[in-house]
Amino acid sequence: MPQIFSRTADTWLRAVALGALVVTASFFLTAFALARSQYWDVVARTPLQPVPFSHKHHAGQLGIDCRYCHSTVETSANAGFPATHVCMTCHSQLWTNADMLAPVRQSLAEDRSIDWARVARVPDYVYFRHDIHIAKGIACVECHGRIDRMPLTYRAKAFEMKFCLDCHRDPAPHLRPRSAVYDFDWKPPANHAVLGRELMSLYHIKSPTELTSCGTCHR
Amino acid sequence: MRDVPPVSGPKVWRSLAEYQDSEAFGAMLKAEFPSIFELWLVDRRQLLSVMGASLALAGLSGCKPVRSDDVVPFVNRPEGFLEGRADHYATAVLLDGFAQPVIATTSAGRPIKLDGNPEHPAFRGGSTPFMQAAILDLYDPDRSQAPLAGGHSASWAEFDAQMTRWRNAWAASKGAGLRILIGPTTSPTLLRQIGELRAALPQARVHLCDPLSGYAGEAPPPLRPKLEAARLAVSLDDDWLGPGPSQAIHARAWGDRHGDVPAEERLHLFAAETTPTLTGAKADSRLAIPPSRLGSLAAAIGAEVGVAGARVTLTETELAWARQVSKALLMNRGRSLLTVGAHAPPELQTLAVEVNRKLGNIGQTCAIAAPLGFVPQAGESFLDLARDIAARHVSALFVLGANPVYAAPGDLGFARLYASVPLRVHAGLHVDETAAISNWHLPLPHALEDWSDARSPDGLATIIQPVVRPMYDSRSLHEIVAGFTSDQPPTAQTLVRQSWARQLADDSAWTAALKIGVVQSPAPQSLSRPGGLSLQKGLPLPRDDEIEIVFRPDPTIRDGSFANNGWLQELPKPLFKTTWDNVVALSPALARELDISSGDMLRVESGGRAVEGPAWVLPGQPPRVVTLFLGYGRTRAGRIGTDIGYDAYQLRSAAAPWTATGTVRPTGTTAMLATTQEHHMLDAEGAGVVRTVNPDHPSARLESDADQDSFYPRWPEGKPAWGMVIDLDRCIGCNACAVACQAENNVPVVGKDQVHKGREMAWLRVDRYYAGEPEDPETYFQPVPCMHCEQAPCEMGCPVHATVHSPEGLNLMVYNRCIGTRTCSSYCPYKVRRFNWFDYTTDEPESLAAQRNPDVTVRGRGVMEKCSYCIQRIEAATVKADIEERAVRDGEVVTACQQACPAKAISFGNLADKASEVAGRRSSPRNYALLAELGTRPRTTYLARVALEDDV
Repeated sequence: MPQIFSRTADTWLRAVALGALVVTASFFLTAFALARSQYWDVVARTPLQPVPFSHKHHAGQLGIDCRYCHSTVETSANAGFPATHVCMTCHSQLWTNADMLAPVRQSLAEDRSIDWARVARVPDYVYFRHDIHIAKGIACVECHGRIDRMPLTYRAKAFEMKFCLDCHRDPAPHLRPRSAVYDFDWKPPANHAVLGRELMSLYHIKSPTELTSCGTCHR
Repeated sequence: MRDVPPVSGPKVWRSLAEYQDSEAFGAMLKAEFPSIFELWLVDRRQLLSVMGASLALAGLSGCKPVRSDDVVPFVNRPEGFLEGRADHYATAVLLDGFAQPVIATTSAGRPIKLDGNPEHPAFRGGSTPFMQAAILDLYDPDRSQAPLAGGHSASWAEFDAQMTRWRNAWAASKGAGLRILIGPTTSPTLLRQIGELRAALPQARVHLCDPLSGYAGEAPPPLRPKLEAARLAVSLDDDWLGPGPSQAIHARAWGDRHGDVPAEERLHLFAAETTPTLTGAKADSRLAIPPSRLGSLAAAIGAEVGVAGARVTLTETELAWARQVSKALLMNRGRSLLTVGAHAPPELQTLAVEVNRKLGNIGQTCAIAAPLGFVPQAGESFLDLARDIAARHVSALFVLGANPVYAAPGDLGFARLYASVPLRVHAGLHVDETAAISNWHLPLPHALEDWSDARSPDGLATIIQPVVRPMYDSRSLHEIVAGFTSDQPPTAQTLVRQSWARQLADDSAWTAALKIGVVQSPAPQSLSRPGGLSLQKGLPLPRDDEIEIVFRPDPTIRDGSFANNGWLQELPKPLFKTTWDNVVALSPALARELDISSGDMLRVESGGRAVEGPAWVLPGQPPRVVTLFLGYGRTRAGRIGTDIGYDAYQLRSAAAPWTATGTVRPTGTTAMLATTQEHHMLDAEGAGVVRTVNPDHPSARLESDADQDSFYPRWPEGKPAWGMVIDLDRCIGCNACAVACQAENNVPVVGKDQVHKGREMAWLRVDRYYAGEPEDPETYFQPVPCMHCEQAPCEMGCPVHATVHSPEGLNLMVYNRCIGTRTCSSYCPYKVRRFNWFDYTTDEPESLAAQRNPDVTVRGRGVMEKCSYCIQRIEAATVKADIEERAVRDGEVVTACQQACPAKAISFGNLADKASEVAGRRSSPRNYALLAELGTRPRTTYLARVALEDDV
């Protein structure tokens, strides 16, 4: 009876098996790495905007309050985006001929909205509310980072479920007095742990069990 | 497995198959997945391969990177506008020309929900299915979008140029040959405009096309009931709890006088009816009677209470019922009310007035009211128009907001007549049957896009204000009418404002009227006495081989104007639970005689014309009466409503539009009917599911309800502990809750085939049960949302924890976790879970996406969903209270179904707050839990229906 397998068949089999293992493993490793990467989380990316708006200049150097432009942050789920008229309160007087601001003037002249690219976004099945977080003493920087130092706006934190849950499981270290919510330079006092506990009861913050119930964010 | 204690209680049944306990029915019920039971019958191997393929595909749908999207802010933010917050406006939608006052909720400028206006003194916030579903008509992708000339798109400028020529000709001829045909209307502005038009063009005539009031210029019924003052109501074929413009008003009065009210304040109801209705289902005593003997029955009651009677021909049962009713009427002088249906002949209407006058009820429980709407003058009925067209007296016909080519009775041959008019102009929301054979078609705006006004059936007026800018190139009906005499017609807003110049003179009064949605105007004057009394001799008795035919508007499609509304098409009809079709209702006795069952096609002939429709064996139908339902068989309704069902108008006659005699025979074929009556059956042998109490046994509690020991720890009662109580004594089975739930929670429409397979998505179903003999059964309604069990079996079943419990007692559904094993559904004893077998939303027309509620997830394929107790509303109220640093108040969270219910049958709130309304209702002795013997401890419980003592 002739040989069915050649002499090298064993080697080939081992090579193919090893190759398959390597390919599979690298597929999963790549997928895993991708899922954990900033690319997937869209962190630190500055999308192309119609106007290269600088939060560093407006919020940082000029010290304009967040609520001047994001005016519904305390009263609505959405923080609100400034209407063209809000930009023009200043820019009808300042930099009136700057090329950079041409889209703003055009928007006003043509009564057409400026289409900004959204930077901070949670998935459709997550229902985030700004108003309640502000009311409970969660500062802008907690999620948006040092936006007062961003020449071009980018997402500072990965808006993953883990990011939300870290705080919902133990809110105390992230709390600050309501008066300091918009303060980028607020430094936690030495007794922040004590303050956090005090604020938990002062602001009637719910227990971690309630805060981590699925229905808090998903419905 | 522990033993389930035996359950005792009245035996109820849902369908005749269940009543007869057929083998196939038993097998269906026992199947693990009744929804795929039929597939199982086909081929198990093929099914498995199909399921495998869909599983493989389902895995891929998760692979999408997070998408960045655009933000489009305002150029100039309107004052008071808040992104992410809903705004509310008071306005009205129309039903049969009557105002249905609503509060329209808009989100980012898009109307997303309509609810009854709580400020309206008659509606008091009540809804009906039509009111809830009107919002879908606004976004109907098949709406007419631009004028058409001879079927080709044209511009308003072209139409205006033509109109100028015609106007000059009419001005010279005083309008000779010009006819205007309008749909039913109560608009004071339109009535004023018609008056002015008549003065300017005395030769022109305005005709009425209202298929639900008749074609010969019939006067509307003179009696306007005031049920809140009545202790006893007798309905002679008057379905006042059923679908119609007054349903919400009457249901509110009904709800106030049912449930936990003292016995002496209860409203008692006797109903005689020619076909089963909601009023009959809720009546304490019900009599099925053929239409030919209704007159005799009324005369018999009239004779007993002292109104001159006529010779009566009644059976023993009917005579006994008449005596019982008369006795009760006489015992309740001044507090009783006898009404007859709007489709009864005028002699009966007069008799009802006289009986009420004799009993001293007029001014107490009813009023004789002047008609609110447009009443055609002599020579201006629809029949007169048809005669005039035939006599070539009509040179131009403007059809404004009506569809006579579809809705004319079959004996007129109106399509041919209409086509013979030299100039035909149609204005409407759709390019419908009439538009198709018109020279011009003009698009009208939806009521939510337009300025107008209308009266609700109680007589009060509402200014209709637009809540969204017109989506298409439409023009208001008022502007079109003004265009008959003016080349520069004012805007609709100006025209409406002019009509109210006297009552709402200054801007503050006008704004106030817009804000609350009611004009505090004096109610239209009452009349003292309608036309003379002439008692009829009764309709001619049918020959033995002939069947009496009754025509009724379809319970959800009405006269056909809602045919392209997917929510209403898929809404199970309250009594038959069929969807997407109209049926020929006949009695079990007649079905036995013809040897047919539900779904078999019947040919109904009358007056030389015939229609064919699927039979529906309807318990409680009078033996030799068949009921045909109008509204189907449309040929140009749109992508939803075209070519479904049969057209009952074909069999109608102009002289007697509501009754006919004829023959019925099976054709030998069978149609597929998508009925939900056997879907989601509770596996409880039908006992103890719906319960009744009576004065002797005031408690609904059964032996088997005793608390069970459980393997699982008792769920701690958190604060708040959300719960719901549904009062079956108040519930009238109208389905308003079901449509409200669909609108609020983005529930998709799945189509007839899917409904037939048991895959309807409605989160809230209204189960209809019968008890007793099929010939004359008791009818019960039971709305079934998720029970939010404290010991929820579904949660034990889910392999991925996609359904979990919240500390507040909500049974949550986490869509993004769900992998679609459907284990929860098979574990759910109440069958309230719904599975997305397909992606129902992605390919929907774009305009429909604008209706969706932004606070509720739009579910994808392969995901389980169910009632959430409107968690988005709980969340909104909780956050608001939290920011204001207080607890949520009782009544602050209102679920969509609760808000819609016109009878206030549903209450919702915090069970831990003993002072709350829901805790109060739950402590009633009538309170019981569905399938309590399973130990699931549901948060939704029911209040048993009150069965009456015999003497009233």
